[in-house]
Amino acid sequence: MKNILLFLIFLIPFSFNSYATIEIDITEGNREPLPIAITNFFHDGSEKITNTDLPSKIRDVIQNDLESTGLFNSIDEKAFIQENKSLHLKPRFADWRLINSQGLVTGDLKIEDERLKVEFRLWDTLAEKEIEGLVLITTPDNWRRISHMIADKIYERLTGEEGYFDTRIVYVAEEGPKNNRVKKLAIMDQDGANHKFLTSGKELVLTPRFNPVRQEITYLSYFKNLPRVYLLNIQTGIQQVVGDSPGMTFAPRFAPDGNKIIMSLAREGNSDIYVMNLNSRVVERLTDSPAIDTSPSYSPDGKKITFNSDRGGSQQIYVMDSNGRNQKRISKGSGNYATPVWSPRGDLIAFTKNFQGQYFIGVMRTDGTGERLLTENWYQEAPSWSSNGRVLIFYRETKADSSGKGHSASIWSIDLTGFNERKLVTPGDASDPSWSKLIQN
Amino acid sequence: MRLSVLGSIILHSLILVFTVFSLPIFNDPKIDTPPIIQIELIEISKVTNVPEKSVQKSLEEKNEEKEKKEEKLTRPISKPKDEKSNKKTEEVEDTVKKVEKKIEKKMIENMPIRKPQTKKKDMFDPLKLAELIDKQKDTKTKIDDIPEKDYEVLDSKPSLNKRLTLSEEDAIRAQFMQCWSIPLGIPFDDTMIVKIKILLNTDGTLQKPPEVIQHERMNKPSEKYFRTLAESALRAVRRCDPIKVPEVERYESWKSLQLNFDPREILRG
Repeated sequence: MKNILLFLIFLIPFSFNSYATIEIDITEGNREPLPIAITNFFHDGSEKITNTDLPSKIRDVIQNDLESTGLFNSIDEKAFIQENKSLHLKPRFADWRLINSQGLVTGDLKIEDERLKVEFRLWDTLAEKEIEGLVLITTPDNWRRISHMIADKIYERLTGEEGYFDTRIVYVAEEGPKNNRVKKLAIMDQDGANHKFLTSGKELVLTPRFNPVRQEITYLSYFKNLPRVYLLNIQTGIQQVVGDSPGMTFAPRFAPDGNKIIMSLAREGNSDIYVMNLNSRVVERLTDSPAIDTSPSYSPDGKKITFNSDRGGSQQIYVMDSNGRNQKRISKGSGNYATPVWSPRGDLIAFTKNFQGQYFIGVMRTDGTGERLLTENWYQEAPSWSSNGRVLIFYRETKADSSGKGHSASIWSIDLTGFNERKLVTPGDASDPSWSKLIQN
Repeated sequence: MRLSVLGSIILHSLILVFTVFSLPIFNDPKIDTPPIIQIELIEISKVTNVPEKSVQKSLEEKNEEKEKKEEKLTRPISKPKDEKSNKKTEEVEDTVKKVEKKIEKKMIENMPIRKPQTKKKDMFDPLKLAELIDKQKDTKTKIDDIPEKDYEVLDSKPSLNKRLTLSEEDAIRAQFMQCWSIPLGIPFDDTMIVKIKILLNTDGTLQKPPEVIQHERMNKPSEKYFRTLAESALRAVRRCDPIKVPEVERYESWKSLQLNFDPREILRG
């Protein structure tokens, strides 16, 4: 009996060996955008819609949003095999696989009590199942926001990260000759729609920045040739001065909680970092260096601040605790570094770099390692993160010719891969963009 | 005292001489083991896997040739009908026997006294010739009796050369690489690797839906990135269905696969 048992134990490894599963490591894959079919949203025609193109317009907005990421490839609707009527009942997955679609977006559109009701579904054509579905109800005029929200849901479900389509961009709209530029505050949806000016252009405006928790902007405006920091509520239009202290204030930016503003304040020829509590209006000094310390930006947890300073002889990026202690230089490469901005993810710092006459937009880890330059040009600066920390917007200027013509400024976006660079459409010249968080209301 | 010392020396020297002549390491030539290189092993398995039947056939042919030669040697001498010829044959038989005995004696005398047993098997032994011929006959009938189907059964038994070769693994890997759209938006994380188990039919189709081994992690609300990655991997498996597979004869070696979808190097940037 004992011998039999021993023999059986001896056989165990052989039995495992005979049915061993082979492991295959797949470390590479297809980096092409994911093919996805976005269909016209179905409307049975029982209710009158003033905007008859609405089903296709919603589709177009979703398609543009997803394609702008460089991660999705929307399949041409001419290739669709299944018609909208039968699709409304149930997708024939084989038909969609046939045109190489891995995801399918379908939707219904209804008007109920003069309100627009949009129901959308996202299907995995290979698993043959619904993976996301949502009903959104709003006023018919608000169809663009609904479309962006649907695009956000699709993006989130297929990439795992939060979308950034239901967001706005505030920027400085420029016009006129270079020596006499008129600069106005302007706001638009991230895709360029719903554009409007927020200031008249009488005063020069600079560096607008979104509040991360409220529909509010802080910016710098010149009043009687003195720069002052302003707050502007986008919904109410109410504007107020927050910093009227002696000296000049620059580069204001909100803290992550939206209740503090960090900025650079120049007094007696020395520029340092200060923080102002918006409730108590108490100003606290954070750096005390004879050099120029400017462009401060909080980490998303509010515990650290990055800024740039020329205290070491050239402009470099530094990091310190939120109370001003443990100041440490992190940029290590050649050239000058400016406008550091902490990523909403917390893992990277974006910056502008000037090296050998060229300007770069790049990112580095928060300890200064892993520097990656994403884009290079004659002149570009002021990166601003998308709410999910995957895309940066910045502005780029073109060189004027000898007669002073040909100068222009425009907003561009680039993702962290450095491959998906796009120009944003604005009515005129544009600079100094700031990207809002998801609107969420 | 002297005697005992002498006796000890003689005995020790005898043991020494005995070991020199008896232990195989002193006689045996060194075994030439070729350097084992992984690629060479694969080539071998590839060669040995594919034409197994032909190898067996060539073995059969060799056996047949051997038989023919041996038949020539041991062919019974047909007896003539008349007495004279009988006598002659008797005489011839006697001389043959004498010669054989002489050969036997010489062979026995010339035979090395101590040789490693492993080598003996390969050596030609005229004394056991008949036995050998009988065995060959037996094996021949056995090979002939094996039906075609049983080769597959033999093949299905586990052995080293039934494993997938690297090139076969690469061929399978390449198919999944083509089918896998990497979700590039996922942030780098050292644990971002999805393990999927699949069972295949002989034609390369999925026997049952692919199974994510870390399915518990996939269902956690906090693991959105992992779920996205796992879903992309599942899509790749379904998109590749059916995959091109190696020969059916070695079905057991590839019917169960674990696919490790590992985008970490790509996501690291």
